[in-house]
Amino acid sequence: METDVAIIGGGPAGLAAAMEAKKHAKVTLIERNEELGGILQQCIHHGFGNFIFGEALTGPEYAEHFIEQMEGVDVMLNTTVLEIDKNKRMLLSSPDGVFEMEAKAIILAMGCRERTRTQIFIPGTRPAGIYTAGTAQRLINIEGVMLGKHIVILGSGDVGLIMARRLTLEGAKVEGVYEIMPKPGGLTRNIVQCLYDFDIPLHLSHTIVEIVGKRRVEGVFVAKVDENFKPIEETKRFVPCDTLILAVGLIPENELTKKIGIELDDITAGPVVDEGMETSIEGIFACGNVVHVHDLVDDVSFSAIIAGREAAKYANGRKIKRRKIKVKAGENVRYVVPQIINGRDIEEITFYFRVKKEMKNVVTRLLVDGEVRKEKRELIVKPPEMVRLKVKGELVKNANSISIEVKKVA
Amino acid sequence: MKVEKKVEKYARKKGWKVKARLEDGILYLEGEVPSYKEYVEIGRYAGKQKNIEGVVNRLKYKGKKEVKRKKGENKLIGEADVVIIGGGVTGCMIARELSKYKLDIILVEKAEDVACGATKANNAMVHTGIGEKMGTLKQKLCVEGHKMYEELSKQLDFPYEKNGMWIILTKDSFADMPIPSFLGNFIARFIIPRIILRRAKKLGIPMHIVKRKELLKEEPNVTSRALIAVYSPTYGVTSPYLFTIALAENAIDNGVKIMLETEVVDMITEGEEVKEVVTDKGRIKARYVINAAGVYADMVAEMAGAREYTIHPKKGSTLLFDKDYGNYIKHSMTILKFPRMEHYKGGGAMLTFERNIQLGPTLMEVEDREDTSVTAAEIKQIFSRFSLLLPNLPRKGVIAYFAGLRAATFTEDFIIRRAKKVRNFIHVAGIQSPGLAAAPAVAKMVVGLLKESGLEMVEKKDFNPYRKASVVIRELSVEERQKMVEKDARYGKVVCRCEDVTEGEIVDAIHGKIGARNIDAIKRRTRAGMGRCQGSFCLPHVAKILSRETGIPLEEIKKNGNGSNLFIGKAKCLLEEENGN
Amino acid sequence: MRKFICIQCPLGCEIIVEGERIEGNKCPRGKEYVMQEMKNPRRVLTTTVFIENAIHPMLPVRSNGEIPKELLKECMKILAGVKVKAPVKKGDVIYKNILNTGIDIIASRSMERK
Repeated sequence: METDVAIIGGGPAGLAAAMEAKKHAKVTLIERNEELGGILQQCIHHGFGNFIFGEALTGPEYAEHFIEQMEGVDVMLNTTVLEIDKNKRMLLSSPDGVFEMEAKAIILAMGCRERTRTQIFIPGTRPAGIYTAGTAQRLINIEGVMLGKHIVILGSGDVGLIMARRLTLEGAKVEGVYEIMPKPGGLTRNIVQCLYDFDIPLHLSHTIVEIVGKRRVEGVFVAKVDENFKPIEETKRFVPCDTLILAVGLIPENELTKKIGIELDDITAGPVVDEGMETSIEGIFACGNVVHVHDLVDDVSFSAIIAGREAAKYANGRKIKRRKIKVKAGENVRYVVPQIINGRDIEEITFYFRVKKEMKNVVTRLLVDGEVRKEKRELIVKPPEMVRLKVKGELVKNANSISIEVKKVA
Repeated sequence: MKVEKKVEKYARKKGWKVKARLEDGILYLEGEVPSYKEYVEIGRYAGKQKNIEGVVNRLKYKGKKEVKRKKGENKLIGEADVVIIGGGVTGCMIARELSKYKLDIILVEKAEDVACGATKANNAMVHTGIGEKMGTLKQKLCVEGHKMYEELSKQLDFPYEKNGMWIILTKDSFADMPIPSFLGNFIARFIIPRIILRRAKKLGIPMHIVKRKELLKEEPNVTSRALIAVYSPTYGVTSPYLFTIALAENAIDNGVKIMLETEVVDMITEGEEVKEVVTDKGRIKARYVINAAGVYADMVAEMAGAREYTIHPKKGSTLLFDKDYGNYIKHSMTILKFPRMEHYKGGGAMLTFERNIQLGPTLMEVEDREDTSVTAAEIKQIFSRFSLLLPNLPRKGVIAYFAGLRAATFTEDFIIRRAKKVRNFIHVAGIQSPGLAAAPAVAKMVVGLLKESGLEMVEKKDFNPYRKASVVIRELSVEERQKMVEKDARYGKVVCRCEDVTEGEIVDAIHGKIGARNIDAIKRRTRAGMGRCQGSFCLPHVAKILSRETGIPLEEIKKNGNGSNLFIGKAKCLLEEENGN
Repeated sequence: MRKFICIQCPLGCEIIVEGERIEGNKCPRGKEYVMQEMKNPRRVLTTTVFIENAIHPMLPVRSNGEIPKELLKECMKILAGVKVKAPVKKGDVIYKNILNTGIDIIASRSMERK
């Protein structure tokens, strides 16, 4: 089988990329689940699309906008990509058969997986009743089961906060949200509307030091941590519960990416991409959470549209010169995406980045060849909230050195 | 000095009130000690004495829990020539071996699946016997059992491979001994390997010395502090639960009846015989009883009036690494560290059949026979011990950890013999490492004991030694895979992304001869949920398939046995509760 | 004395209300937000209801406006007993004028008949 643009993953990234790419090329959208929408179908809460639609939609509503646009796209559901090679050949498996597909361009849009209990070495037993937040969300919102009655949540990122509210609304008692950092990990809006609204206690600088229960969770031991995040033995106490939800981080799902030998960024755990979302292998693009974990799905859609457009161009034989200029993460910047500027013809480029520490009254800056070429003031920047700097493509197209920095306003 | 006096003197010196009584080779301990720690210490001391066949430790200590006898069900549910108690690798191996004869056999297992005790929680090594104490029964049976694996794996279609083992000595091997390091290194390089080879020659196990340079060339990730190694090319690795399931399926094929979720709670005896085995599901008339009850073997023996030993569980925890590190080492390896702990081979970095590295196991005496927790201390211990072997193996490679309980007796050897006071009761107790490797030989020994006991054992002419495993899709070629999907579309739907497991295989696992009835049973048979995401993605899908195929409502699906319900009900059940519904 | 965190912008000002005094807001929107929160806090409700004959047993739904915060629990109990049948179109009214708020509960997505 052949196609122009093969997109792996039918979630928000894949959908937006397909919507754009289909305008210029033949598109095949490959999705392992029985329906499109990816993670959005289980994100039944609202807050999606403030930027792109001007409304606070629910996940399924947001997804449906794009799913309605799939006319003309060859959608393959229940299909998993088993293998992929540098020559853009894939091996697919679905109930309809096992077959090879060759594409002119590929867009990786596989999203993320969740960090597990064992990856953070929580000691204790391995009973039923331990769920990562995403799995819990799927079970409640899609499969229609209730997980437990007395819940403890580890991790104050958005997924954990959303689940704290969801479980409470469904009648459970959330005993508390425990967070190892001294500051919460999710958006302030969610701290207020998910925890404060329901009087759910947030315990910062705390972690879980043991899980108890032979067949089913019976409780957890929690403890305060010191400045090195080591548990303080004297603060250890038992919290009875029957369910433990882990919201301890998302990991971009790059197993296929690694197999082809695409260059990965150590900090984002995703592929290094240029302003057209192309990876280190020509003709293979990436967008969405597989590149780096986003806070807002709007940003996913924007970058996916760029990936779709550029992938279609590549499939149609458009050649570009690749200048391979690295974008440096300057002062107080932990990482920037895109990591490379190749000098494409793109009118507007958005640099997405995260800061190392919280700062108030700052200016975010683009430096090109040592000079400040774009600036934006921000009242506050925090690590959990991704920052954007939109610049005109021509500013960086022929640059020899590029960096993004965040400085305090004098 | 008589044994009893010796043991009592030892206790008295420590300030403990212990009375010892020797009867027919069994040493009975009574009295009181301060805690479980001392209970084990004196038990082991007693077990070390010469010519002791078993230690029955009835010492009281602070916090000792009373064993509550459970209630049995009265109705008669079966009748057999041989009842085997315990469905681990030992019990299932015995069942399969006995199914070669014209006998009615019933195997009872209290868990919801076979292989649920130590069988599923060990590091899968099929030891050659080199690491066991010389002259013990466990060593003898290990050497014999190891030799039978090749043939068995062909007959029963389960994974087995001779992937080899390095026994490595490094500059840290004698670091904990009160001798200067140059002496320690000398002993490590020149004395220990020769001792090992001599022992290997005696046991008929092929092994050879490999010098440091060659070792590091073959295994570049091993510590540069390595001095020398002894390599064992015939060391094997298997999948203990797939092996056990294969045994059980073949046994069933050959007429054995396996009753799961059937717990032995008592026995009805008459004179010197067990007449019936009483379980929580009903009574089974038995002519002979084989006690392969693992960590509960002593309690089962007690029910028959044949208590000749006490089990003290020894927990072993293991860390499991991502398959991404599958090429980090080529062969399994262990580091010899002195002083050596008795009856503990030390664990190591062992490669599973699927190429996950396992670090461990640890060894920790525990009181609770259900304690399979992995403690922070054990995790720390594993990293510190095995970083001496593989210093750069990163912590972030760990995807899972688990623990199992070794069913050790105080004499620290297998107890496989006829009961002294009950003529139709056979002990197969104290099966700790190398229980897995020894299993085939253990079964042969049990056959001998049954014959000795007077059971007529006539070989079946129609015994079928062959059993085929259900298809493993990821092992097929693309063409073979395509053919399977054409046959059944469910083999095309990938459910577990991490391990490449399809819906068809999950359905096969549910409908097998020993069908999977819960999530963990499916996991062991198919590997769904064993990958790096540990079921985060596939759990909802696996649960749905299980519900669909068995008719068990989704909200009642369990992770493993009773009490391990994944959910508390359907969505809204707590709101309906509040509504008064 | 009541504490609020304003959610009108990423600054998240901590605003303290003591009697008539409102302090801590860096802009007037903060004062508006807090006053609304004290007088009549309202929230969008998102949840699921049972659905038959569809790809999943649950249909995601949302309120088409904000509901008084203190009524959320009661709304959840009412919706727990609701069962709809596929097909459903995104935006379909699943429950009209819940608890007399004038707000409807509508479908968040379309679900075809399986």
